Amino acid sequence: MSAGGPGGEAHGGVAPGKMIVFGLLGGLICIYAAHFLAMVNPVFSFIGALGAVCAIVWGADAVRRVCSYGLGTGVPSIGMIALGMGVIASLFGLAVGGLAGPIVAVIAAAIIGLVIGILANKVLGMNIPIMEKTMVEIGVAGALTIVGLSTTMAGTFMFAEVLELVVAPGYIAVIFIAGGMGILHPFNACLGPDEEQDRTLAVAFEKGGIAMVIAGIVSMVISTAAAIPSIVIGLLIWYISFAKFYELTKRDAYKVLGTGLLPTEEELQ
Amino acid sequence: MIDIAGILIDNILYVLLITLGGALISLSVHFVPVGGAPAAMAQATGIGTGTVQLAAGAGLTGLVAAGAVMQVSNSLPLVLAAGAVGAMIMMSVTMIVGTWVYVYGVGCPPASAKVKYDPITKDRQDLYVSQGTEGHGLPTVSYVSGVLGGLFGGLGGSLVYHSLITAGMGPDVVMSNLIGLASVFAVGIFFVNAVIPSYNIGGTIEGFHDPKFKKWPKAVFSSLIATFMCALVAVLAIGGL
Repeated sequence: MSAGGPGGEAHGGVAPGKMIVFGLLGGLICIYAAHFLAMVNPVFSFIGALGAVCAIVWGADAVRRVCSYGLGTGVPSIGMIALGMGVIASLFGLAVGGLAGPIVAVIAAAIIGLVIGILANKVLGMNIPIMEKTMVEIGVAGALTIVGLSTTMAGTFMFAEVLELVVAPGYIAVIFIAGGMGILHPFNACLGPDEEQDRTLAVAFEKGGIAMVIAGIVSMVISTAAAIPSIVIGLLIWYISFAKFYELTKRDAYKVLGTGLLPTEEELQ
Repeated sequence: MIDIAGILIDNILYVLLITLGGALISLSVHFVPVGGAPAAMAQATGIGTGTVQLAAGAGLTGLVAAGAVMQVSNSLPLVLAAGAVGAMIMMSVTMIVGTWVYVYGVGCPPASAKVKYDPITKDRQDLYVSQGTEGHGLPTVSYVSGVLGGLFGGLGGSLVYHSLITAGMGPDVVMSNLIGLASVFAVGIFFVNAVIPSYNIGGTIEGFHDPKFKKWPKAVFSSLIATFMCALVAVLAIGGL
């Protein structure tokens, strides 16, 4: 199941349907909750980043399923197309949708993803059976990641604020790379014949935690009260998932041995 | 809510120009000698990284160059030229430094495994290809092809950026917001159009002399459709500012 060679369907773990529910519903509910609760008290803006974490984990699982077939061009490409589609769809959704912005973004990302998936299979001849479905998932996950992190940074997903506080200062580039890393890196780091879903997704949670901390630092511009919960919860997610990843790595490894330090020059003689 | 039909009718020219830019980016990727991971180990001809990273590097440099020129002039040919030259410089620098690493660091001569004679210099290639590799380094034809890739990529990227900025220009637009939004959309469109051709060529290509190059119409067709959709949503969002 290497990125370059022929592969097959990914096996085991949580079913794709559950991941879709987790990512899509979790993402949307958190984004709306963050938007409305942050109006009451800006402290709650961190919930938006939790939605982004859900979307990142879902996106990473979709990448895992499609890349198991072997794309021939490396896993990072699919993360970049996810965020490319996602950034176009999410800013379009927020610009025209108003309060329905995140839902419009999801629909736009799904349509763009479906078209690219069909083109990849039918015109480019990639012949990956789940390409259309996963391209939709990856595009939507990318869009929700961007909307979720933007909501935490700006405290709302209304377009005027997002434009002024996230897009114009260039923080959107940070979201682009942090979100893209979250979606593409987990499978890229864990791929191979011994790849396991829980270990890959532990990396996805860990990357989501880092993205959340970054969003928290940016939201410091608006209010310190809003920034602290994001940073603290992000660090907590990062620590728990990294510890989990380390534990699962030890579980999946044939043997874990300490090699000690490198020998000094005298010891070698 | 914004007036969707009105904005589209006003900006249909820009939608078409953005689509053309996307197709140019898609074409440009086929010229760039990408070797991927095998090239990083000097086991395949080309630059040792993925298509997306190279296209993004060249495209974003083009975008920065075009953006810098747009601060002083709005003339389309000037912006296109700046974008193209920026991307070409970026590609040339990447390739010349890569060649130094392959020649002086790894110690292998630049050689192509896809053709027996370099189509430009007519130098014999197959004698210099190490056993068990698909060529290594950047022979002249790949280098020239890469610079052409930078030219088309930079043209495409700056065309997309210029069209987006012009479509969003209005009497009461905050310039920093418009530039931010146009850059983000341009980057998004660039990434989509860098990945589609990289799926078409299966991750690696040596340049315009590679047999895989003949597949370009498929990727350009796909990019036309995908970019058209992206252009519609981008122009709607930007036109509604």
